[in-house]
Amino acid sequence: MAKEIIIALAGNPNSGKTTVFNNLTGARQHVGNWPGVTVEKKEGSCSYNGYSIKVVDLPGVYSLTAYSPDEVIARNFILEEKPDAVVDIVDASNLERNLYLVIQFLEMGARVIVALNMMDEADSRNYRIDVEGLSRLLGAPVVPMVANHNRGTMELFDEIVKVAENKAQVKGLKVEYGREVEEEISKLEKLISQSELSSKYSPRWLAVKLLERDEEIIKKFREVEHG
Amino acid sequence: MNQLMPLAMVSPGEVVQVVDVRAGWGFQRRLADMGLTPGVIIRVMNSQRPGPIIIDLRGSRLVLGYGMTQRILVRKV
Repeated sequence: MAKEIIIALAGNPNSGKTTVFNNLTGARQHVGNWPGVTVEKKEGSCSYNGYSIKVVDLPGVYSLTAYSPDEVIARNFILEEKPDAVVDIVDASNLERNLYLVIQFLEMGARVIVALNMMDEADSRNYRIDVEGLSRLLGAPVVPMVANHNRGTMELFDEIVKVAENKAQVKGLKVEYGREVEEEISKLEKLISQSELSSKYSPRWLAVKLLERDEEIIKKFREVEHG
Repeated sequence: MNQLMPLAMVSPGEVVQVVDVRAGWGFQRRLADMGLTPGVIIRVMNSQRPGPIIIDLRGSRLVLGYGMTQRILVRKV
C-alpha cells in the first residue's frame, strides 16, 4: 500500500500554479495566460517513489485575509485539512510581491515549500537570487523551477516527500511586530491558550488575526465560546 | 517638498510616491495586501478621469476605481 501524501498548490495569480499542477499530475488542466483562471480548487493525483500524492490546486491569491471567496477557500483548506506540504509557487521575477503570501503561510505554521518559478524570466532580467540564503531566511526549502519547460519538477517531488516525511526542516518564521504589538500578542496568546481553538491552530497566529480584526477568526471564537 | 495630491489627479506617465491612504481599515488593509503601502513608488500607466486608473506597482499592474484613487494621497518624485 503506497503511503498517501496530500499537498496543496498555492500562490499569487499568474505565478504558474496550474502549469506546476499539470507537471506534477500529468493532467491537462486549462492554463490561461491571465490571472484568476483557477476559481475553485482542482484535485489530481500522481505517484512518485512509492508514494501516492494527492495534489490540490488552490485559487491564486495575493493574501490570506477573509475578503474574497478564493482567499477563504485557500486559507481554510490549509487550516482545516492541514496538508502534508504547501507548495507555494512564487514568480521569481516578482519576488517582493510574491513573498508576502509565503510569509503568511509560514506565520500560519504551514509546512511550506517555496517553488521559485519562472527562473528563466528572472535570469533574463539579470536578477541573481541567492536560493540558499532565501531558504535560510524563510526557514523553508526553496526549489528553483521553470515550470513551462518542466524544469525542477523532480527536485520539487523530492522536496515534497522530504517535507511530508519530516526529513526536511520547515522551521517556519516568526515575524516580529515590535514591542507594543508583541505585548498585546502575548496577552492574547495567554487567553487563547485556554480556548479549545488553540489545539487546532497556532495561538500566536490566532492572536495576530484577532488584532487584525479578521472576521472569520472572530466568528470562530464566537462559535466556540457561545456554542 | 512636493505637494500632496490624490492619485486621481496624476497624469499617465508620471511617477509618484504613495504617502497616505485616507480610508477605513478594510480598504487600507486590502491595498496593503496588493502591495500598495505608504512609501511605495508607483507609475500611472493609464488614466481616464473619471474612470479607472492603471498603475505599475511593484512590477505588476493594478487597476483602481476612480473613487479609490481619490483617497490615495501621493507626491511627485
